[in-house]
Amino acid sequence: MSSHAEAVGHGHEEHHGPPPIHYSSRVPPQVLGMFLFIASEIMLFGSFFTVYFFDRVVNHGVHGHWPPPGFHRPAFVAGINTAILVTSSFTMHWADTSIKKGNRNGLKAGMLLTFLLGLTFLLTQVIEYHRIGFNTGDTSFAATFFGLTGLHGAHVFVGLTILLVMTIRSFRGHFSPEHHHGIEIGGIYWHFVDVMWIVVYVTVYLL
Amino acid sequence: MRNPLRSETDAFRFVLLTIGYFALIVLGSLIDVWVGVGVFAVLTAAALWLVFRSRTGERPAPPDETA
Repeated sequence: MSSHAEAVGHGHEEHHGPPPIHYSSRVPPQVLGMFLFIASEIMLFGSFFTVYFFDRVVNHGVHGHWPPPGFHRPAFVAGINTAILVTSSFTMHWADTSIKKGNRNGLKAGMLLTFLLGLTFLLTQVIEYHRIGFNTGDTSFAATFFGLTGLHGAHVFVGLTILLVMTIRSFRGHFSPEHHHGIEIGGIYWHFVDVMWIVVYVTVYLL
Repeated sequence: MRNPLRSETDAFRFVLLTIGYFALIVLGSLIDVWVGVGVFAVLTAAALWLVFRSRTGERPAPPDETA
């Protein structure tokens, strides 16, 4: 057997499966995936904000003030909800820093608290929808209000699903200081949800 | 300014910056609408300046050889 054939045969014995992945990006593929996903989400929220501001500019000219007469925005309850969601970002960060330091109890407590705070936020929003006194078909203001807050609520629901998986995996001991990408990626998404709520709260409820 | 999507820590820092950014705009708008608009313009210009300054002066991290 020639030396080339030996080398090929030897290599064939050692390596099974597809060739190793070549990373052309400086960003890890999981982070790049989340980056592209969030970029698409920003465009989605951007389209909803465009509709909201268009409606606001047009109807402000018609009615003279915003929101239109007869509509009340529950800014106080939403403010409490904002504090809850911002707190959940702190607990999420606590969970991430805990696992980086090898503190599994901190990770578990942080993840559980983050999930519960997120759940509280979503339930409060659902209760607020029932009490708000108008529905999607009442005016364009109502439609854009429910559109923006509902879109964000859907993202919180997705985030809660991710957080639930992360929390279960935390309690099963799937993460370590060396392997905690599941916490890192989910944490980025949760912080994105938090940032989007701050934008929604300020523009829809306060300004 | 670091890319807020590179890590959880950077994303958390971005949350804090967002809170500060909007808190100042809301405080300004409570005084007067045009003060709020002014604060928005100044903060947005400052944020853009920070982003573009760091892009020209900061090289990206080398790829992870262990990946």
